[in-house]
Amino acid sequence: MTGRGLRVHLALAAVLLGTAAPAAAQLLNLAVSPAVISIPSADPDLVPTVSSGPVTIDYRVRQNSQDTWVLTVLASGDLESGASTIDIAAVSWIATPSPPFQNGTLSRSVAQTVAMGTGNVARPSTGSIIFRLANSWTYDAGTYTQTLVFTLSTP
Amino acid sequence: MRFESILAFVLLAQAPAPASGPQVASATLNLNLGSHARLSFSATALTFPNADPDLTPQVSSVPDSIAITAKARTTRNGQITVTVQSTDDLRSGVTTLPASLITWGAQGAGFLPGALSASTAELVGAWTGSGVRTGSQTFSFRNEWTHPPGTYSLTLVYTISAP
Repeated sequence: MTGRGLRVHLALAAVLLGTAAPAAAQLLNLAVSPAVISIPSADPDLVPTVSSGPVTIDYRVRQNSQDTWVLTVLASGDLESGASTIDIAAVSWIATPSPPFQNGTLSRSVAQTVAMGTGNVARPSTGSIIFRLANSWTYDAGTYTQTLVFTLSTP
Repeated sequence: MRFESILAFVLLAQAPAPASGPQVASATLNLNLGSHARLSFSATALTFPNADPDLTPQVSSVPDSIAITAKARTTRNGQITVTVQSTDDLRSGVTTLPASLITWGAQGAGFLPGALSASTAELVGAWTGSGVRTGSQTFSFRNEWTHPPGTYSLTLVYTISAP
């Protein structure tokens, strides 16, 4: 073997070592439906709490060994309808099954935990979330919107 | 020849792994709040007892006041009004007295005093924006010797309006 041939082998070995780690990373899958979550209007005296329909969370965690996985949700801001706003913290949710899902309240500053577990979720799994708002006479009438960002992650 | 086969293996190893790293999904939260309004009263009947006009020129009702709760959800800075209109003058058989003989005082922010009318809706209260407002009306009847004796009655219709 010539001196030039040896240098080529060493360089390729370094490349192979550098690509080995990503191939062993956790494999995560997440889907949320529907893409638009609607909470309908109602008379506050007749319906003190208005609710969305069920939101389906499809998720799967693989190659995670014994590490923790967590699903969070973060609102991109308060509910907005033109110049009118409603504090996003007025919106809470009820999630099933528990565990790994848990109830909570939306925030626009801190990602809130929706579900958490350890190790793998071997089969595609589904959770359900219903969002709720304390109905009030003091809100301005209007159609309010905000984006919710769900993130499934491991350490 | 040996160099080419090793290079092919390196390229395969660099292909991206599927779905590794944090996964993100977004959804839009849509909240529809429509306009709603509701009126409630502490009583739905008033009585003015008989009295000597010299001794009691203004007869107070029994009960002496009616508490009103006006609830409305409206657009930002929308105007909310509550009005009252008599369906007729005071009537006892074929005998009538003007509904305007009945007047009211008002307590509570946004509530206004006034007199009944059988032809025009009179303003009871006005506010800006959504909310719950509470107040009361204190009714009285102008007593005069010229009123023919009888039992008179009328019906009041309250209306709450918001855009």
